[in-house]
Amino acid sequence: MKWVRSVNNLFVVVDAINQGSFSHLTRHRVPGAMPFAAKYRLIDFTLSNCKNSKVYNVAIFPYGNYRSLSDQIGSGSRWDLNRRRDGIFLLPPKVVGNTIDHEISFQRMYEHLEYFKRSVQEYALITPANIIINIDYNDLLEKYLKADVDLATFTADDYRRLKIYIIKKDLLLDYVSKYDQIQFRNLTDVFDFSSSIKKTSIRLNNPSFLIESSKDLFHANMQLLIQDIRDDIFNLDRPIYSKETMSAPTRYGKDAIVKNSIIASGAVIEGEVVNSIIGRKAHVKKNAKVYHSILMNHSLIEEDALVEYSLLDKETKVVRGAKVHGTIDQLFVSEKKQIVTSEKSLTILQVSAEVEPFVKTGGLADVVGANAEAYSKLGKKSLVIMPLYPKIAEKYQLMLKHEADQTITFGKEDYKASLYSLTNHNTVYYFVETYQFFERDKIYGHKDDDDRFGFFSLAVIAFLKNLEVYPNIIHIHDWHSALIPMLLKERNIDIKTLLTIHNIEYQGKFTRCVLDKLEIKTDYNFIRPSSLNFLEAGIHLADKISTVSETYKDELAYEYYSRNLVEAINRRARDFYGILNGVSDHVGPKNNLEIAQKYDLINVFQAKRINKLDLQKRLGLTENEDAFVIGMVTRIVEQKGFDIIIPALKEALNNERIQFVILGTGDEVYLNELRTLEKNFPNQVSANLFYDATNPDYIYAGADLFLMPSRVEPCGLGQMIALKYGTIPLVRQTGGLNDTINHYDLSGKRGNGFKFYNFDSRDLIFQLNYAYSIFNERKEDWNQIIINAMNSRFTIKDSANKYIELYEMMV
Amino acid sequence: MKKIISMILVGGKGTRLGDMTKYKAKPAISFGGKYRLIDFTLSNLSHSNIDVCGIVTQYEPMELMNYIGNGASWDLDYTDGGIQFLTPYLKKEDIEWQKGTGHAVKQFFDFIENYQSDYVLILPGDHIYKMNYNAMIKAMEEEDSDITIATTRVEQDDVSRFGVVEINKDHYITKFLEKPSHPLTDLVSMGIYIFKKDVLKELLFSDTELLDFGSDIIPEAIRQNKKILSYEFEGYWRDVGTIESLYEAHMDMLNDSRFLGLNSSKNLPIFSRSLNLLPHIVLYSGLVQDSIVADGCRINGHVEHSSVAYKVEISEKAHIKACVVFSNVKIGEYAYVEKAIINEGVEIPKNYYSKNEKCILITKDNLYEVGEIRE
Repeated sequence: MKWVRSVNNLFVVVDAINQGSFSHLTRHRVPGAMPFAAKYRLIDFTLSNCKNSKVYNVAIFPYGNYRSLSDQIGSGSRWDLNRRRDGIFLLPPKVVGNTIDHEISFQRMYEHLEYFKRSVQEYALITPANIIINIDYNDLLEKYLKADVDLATFTADDYRRLKIYIIKKDLLLDYVSKYDQIQFRNLTDVFDFSSSIKKTSIRLNNPSFLIESSKDLFHANMQLLIQDIRDDIFNLDRPIYSKETMSAPTRYGKDAIVKNSIIASGAVIEGEVVNSIIGRKAHVKKNAKVYHSILMNHSLIEEDALVEYSLLDKETKVVRGAKVHGTIDQLFVSEKKQIVTSEKSLTILQVSAEVEPFVKTGGLADVVGANAEAYSKLGKKSLVIMPLYPKIAEKYQLMLKHEADQTITFGKEDYKASLYSLTNHNTVYYFVETYQFFERDKIYGHKDDDDRFGFFSLAVIAFLKNLEVYPNIIHIHDWHSALIPMLLKERNIDIKTLLTIHNIEYQGKFTRCVLDKLEIKTDYNFIRPSSLNFLEAGIHLADKISTVSETYKDELAYEYYSRNLVEAINRRARDFYGILNGVSDHVGPKNNLEIAQKYDLINVFQAKRINKLDLQKRLGLTENEDAFVIGMVTRIVEQKGFDIIIPALKEALNNERIQFVILGTGDEVYLNELRTLEKNFPNQVSANLFYDATNPDYIYAGADLFLMPSRVEPCGLGQMIALKYGTIPLVRQTGGLNDTINHYDLSGKRGNGFKFYNFDSRDLIFQLNYAYSIFNERKEDWNQIIINAMNSRFTIKDSANKYIELYEMMV
Repeated sequence: MKKIISMILVGGKGTRLGDMTKYKAKPAISFGGKYRLIDFTLSNLSHSNIDVCGIVTQYEPMELMNYIGNGASWDLDYTDGGIQFLTPYLKKEDIEWQKGTGHAVKQFFDFIENYQSDYVLILPGDHIYKMNYNAMIKAMEEEDSDITIATTRVEQDDVSRFGVVEINKDHYITKFLEKPSHPLTDLVSMGIYIFKKDVLKELLFSDTELLDFGSDIIPEAIRQNKKILSYEFEGYWRDVGTIESLYEAHMDMLNDSRFLGLNSSKNLPIFSRSLNLLPHIVLYSGLVQDSIVADGCRINGHVEHSSVAYKVEISEKAHIKACVVFSNVKIGEYAYVEKAIINEGVEIPKNYYSKNEKCILITKDNLYEVGEIRE
């Protein structure tokens, strides 16, 4: 094909939808508006590329809070995009649907179909807003035309996908106008799965950084301190333009010391700055030290403070003498306008109805127990308080130390309550004993649960002064202790509270009686004034709220997920955080004697075969090391996706080389379906539908694929365990599954699993077949996924550190 | 209809600033790293919400016109008014060169009439100060004076550089002497005048030709018993007409960390045209102390008590002390320069040495007259 270099035959679609995982940084802005290199914003690079490439038709699709983005862009005149014809278009979402997309979808483009129809240019270039690259788009178009394909994507020189695409406008328009009839949601889907078009991936040699996390942002900033990279990104022939702002030149004090750092105008440097990027109007006062850090605009580092490996958002203030120690692996990231005092002596009191190892009915107990231990290890004072159930009293009788007795008035009665303690590795566990409320076998599910946990909350407050150290953070879990913030307010006790929602399904809905018994005088503004919802009261009054993954946090903004509490949640959106749970370091195949062959990355490929044969043998399946074994360890309930799993399996199992193993128990409807499946495919299916006290590790070790297509999954643990075993998760893009699993991409060789979006068995089958085809036909890729999976890292320490970061922000 | 319009007079050649004004009008001279002298006057206008500004130029106006553009950087790009350049043009086959400040305003009196304003604010374009002109207008309205002159007190030694005024107890000016050799007070005119438009017209178009505000028009107005109010200004103010005074103003800026509130976000900013430059970088061998540095610089040497404008490169082991470095200067390795203004674009060679008792201007042409290469 003859190709002609066609200047101005491109229009650019800027995808500002990706939210990345920035913890606090994007709470007030979309990633495209994130500050970079002291004075720029990420979007400046893309818009400057447009200007330098003489592209004058640009559409920006923002997500959510795009005010900061539109502030930055203005009329676009800075990039010569204030044209009479074409120019810059900011195209906001018309429908706020319950989609948590990480990429611009055809559906989203369809909302502005007119724009695509009106654009006269022949080719569309789609680029993320959060990318740092300095490139002439015409060169990309030239490469695309030379390759003679329908769709091209571009990768960095390390093959990381940059999510830049070039496609003919007509073809794009075709996808967009038929978005509801095709199986592809976006161009990545088309690139990965479409077989009917010609496509290629093109590698670029220019330095490029796709910024999707605080770590990416830190890394890219630091790379600017390398001259070659700086010279390329800030190529003088293709200057980067940013919004004009007024600030004075940088002022240096008499004792200033600055080494290898980039300093924006308006900054005042009186202290020491090394290997850092200092934003506009930041102020480093005398004797303050800033090492390996990024200070955004208006940050203030007071006298004698020390900041290292930190990323300080706008207007962060580090007070006099404070020490902020991040590390290269664990950056300290501040929130906008945060006031950072020294590493505070944190005393954290966690309040929970269940705590591992004392009593456990679900994942909640694991999280509380693991975090309590991790806080101690990280040098924080860690306390836990829970009711004393008879089982605990029995088992730990000899170790419990009696601390105090109190008579507590609740309603019209006086109750005697006793406080016991048990110290383990510096963590102090407290137990509240009250005969009338906790001397029962079952820990929940009593008629008077409102009285029981209302009283428990009251007792916690009564016993505060009897604790070894008076806490400055009370971390409450789920609904049981969610009345604590209210009780603290009523009594004017100033201790900061964090409420973690582990699963919004459990809310504690009761009548208002307990409020009278607790002598609550204030009339709080609840959504249903006639009744009392414990969780709602907590959401309303806790200082901060968190849940167990970023995506679940985002999902809870929609009624589909948060139901009756959607309004309560959205009212607190600014104080709502997502922190992923971790998985214990002891979990895994490395030193596991319960499995046929223990393994790590070194012998994984050989060991997985042995473990697979062992699994097949144990469960009576056809022993075949080439079989594709799909494993599940789960509660068998609707939420876990069984409505789509069963039809999908019925179809997939027609391939005799596919086997399916499940362990768990739950709803009879699904159990029966699974039994039928086992009957119809006796050599391929093993349904172990009972509570198995033995370890399920042999399933994790022996299966090839770990199936977890949940409809709702706040965090999920199974997929994280499976990753450690090199068993590839196939998940639905929801909650913690979305935050832990990256879809494997063939061109970049990145990703640790398979992910699909629509809660639909067709999509599940499609992914199952795709996974099988890689397993069967592309051994090298399959092995790469195993390596990527086993290299994924979701530790309790990381999770605990995030909580500590949040606590420190609160006190 | 506007209440007030302003005219900035930038005609003067500024010969006492030597080569700095070789190719540009005085108000286009760099100040404090990133500013130009005109920025102060334009920012004051902007903060005072005065939205019509005629800029009267004749000497090397290109760079200044280019710099100011449509005035958007100062928020002065209005559709009805804004910034307008008033340059000499051919009138009845003669180019009318301006013979003085008053003469220049007279030439463009049509511009003033066009807006039918009550007041005309006459401003110099090369002074460093921050002033709210509205306060001056308010004082004038309260007193209903014909003319108001902004005045300020200066050091005794400096007085004879300026127009000196004497006032009565009601702050009315009774006497005005341009650059007297034996001044009687320390109160001087800042060259900022507000005229009632009709009064200005009457004075400019009288039978005797009055060419200059300071030497002719104000003394004539006093003679005619016009009500001339002195509006005394108390903030920082410098008229930087000489190399020494430009240097001193820079040292004022370096010595006072609160200079005109430039580095404080609580104050009104001084606007300037931003050049879309990278933030500056200080490399491993760089040491910058007690100085101000603008964007786009690359510093690997020692900068001490100096003002460094944009896109300056300072090489390893170079040392500049108590200097004012204009933009695009390159300082070679091991060079040492003390107490100098280094003119735009000068390349100081490796091992160059220039230490001065009194501030000097280093240009391309005098490089080896004021310094030498020391191995």
